[in-house]
Amino acid sequence: MKQDRKREIISRIKSFPSMSGIAAKALKLLDDPDANAAQVEQLLKQDPGLTANLLKLTNSAYFGIPSKVGSVRHAVVMIGWKKVSKLVMAACVNAITNRQIVGYDLPPGVLWQHSVAVSVTAEGLMRELKIAESDEIFTAALLHDLGKLILGGFVEKELDEIEKVAARGIPFQMAEQEVLGTNHAEIGGLMLESWSFPTELVNAVRWHHDPDSAPQTGVMTDIVHVANVLCLMIGIGIGVEGLHYEPSVSATKRLGIKPTQLELIASQTLEWANELAGVFE
Amino acid sequence: MKYIVQVGDMKVGVKGDEIVTHALGSCLGLMIYDPVAHVGGMLHAMLPLSRINPQKAEANPYMFVDKGVPGLFKEVYDLGGQKARLIVKAAGCGSPIGKNEMFKIGERNYTVLKKLLWKNGILLKTEEIGGNISRTVHFDISTGRVTIKNGRQERLL
Repeated sequence: MKQDRKREIISRIKSFPSMSGIAAKALKLLDDPDANAAQVEQLLKQDPGLTANLLKLTNSAYFGIPSKVGSVRHAVVMIGWKKVSKLVMAACVNAITNRQIVGYDLPPGVLWQHSVAVSVTAEGLMRELKIAESDEIFTAALLHDLGKLILGGFVEKELDEIEKVAARGIPFQMAEQEVLGTNHAEIGGLMLESWSFPTELVNAVRWHHDPDSAPQTGVMTDIVHVANVLCLMIGIGIGVEGLHYEPSVSATKRLGIKPTQLELIASQTLEWANELAGVFE
Repeated sequence: MKYIVQVGDMKVGVKGDEIVTHALGSCLGLMIYDPVAHVGGMLHAMLPLSRINPQKAEANPYMFVDKGVPGLFKEVYDLGGQKARLIVKAAGCGSPIGKNEMFKIGERNYTVLKKLLWKNGILLKTEEIGGNISRTVHFDISTGRVTIKNGRQERLL
């Protein structure tokens, strides 16, 4: 029964309107040392809506560019093609997350705000912990809750049961697992896998609630895990499940993070997230 | 009028006003009310102590419990509220599940609040503190009624 349910959920991944096209190409560019601005521009020619959103993000207060950027080429000159590629990803994520998420009780726009907040928090944590900057952590953070887009409808139907299981004191994603045979992190990971995203990124999404169970522990997974819990705590993207997640003691130890560092980042998160996520309001 | 209190902010109101805040996770929601003057205010503070980020505290004192609570009382006094009559209620300060102390920001928020109130001889009339739910608080300034909602459940505080 649970296996049937899981199969049904997984079958939805194939019919999910894919963001693989442009997003996956943007990710390839990020990975390619020979990539350049012209390629980014070429990629975006296919989608004027996306280009407009990319320029909005580039002009956001988060980057603090003094003059308005009006073209992809200019954006690349001002913030570099790596950041532009990251923002292409953000614009793609906006296109699919900027709506109501049933099941998790997230009003329109909230999953988008949460995705951006976790991304800027992850970047803030990397800076604070002096971890070498990684563009993929930003992307993993942006994409971590993608599975909610598919799982939400199923969670809605079984919410009473899932909440009953969670009330035994186990994390919400484990309650999803018990009732639905899968959870939103696993579905998110499978979505990215089906779009051929890099393994490390897939794993960071797959294990963002349970970094200790990942086949290999990694900074990317740990950072996304911590950033996600922190954003939920301060109310950005907190849904029907509230704070019913368990932050890993081992992950915070591995990162060597101190409570004061966590609070310092929390005090900045809101401003950073509003600067970036607010451009579409 | 209906006011919405964002995270790290505070709003005061008079008779006829309603004040709402959404998504209280580990943040503190503090509601104070003078039933004679019919004035009140609500704070939605994120972190316990402002010394963590003095620059931020300067720009936005309501982000922090230690600065935000005195700020809230002052604003309500300015509207005619009197300390002896104030009814004080608290909500929020939740935590994720498990034993990771680092993430007990909600508990630290509550501790700082209790210390501040104790020092000033103020008692909490009611509270709904802790747990791991997300709370929405409605505060009706005409009556002083405070209701808390999480998911499909609603109750009076």
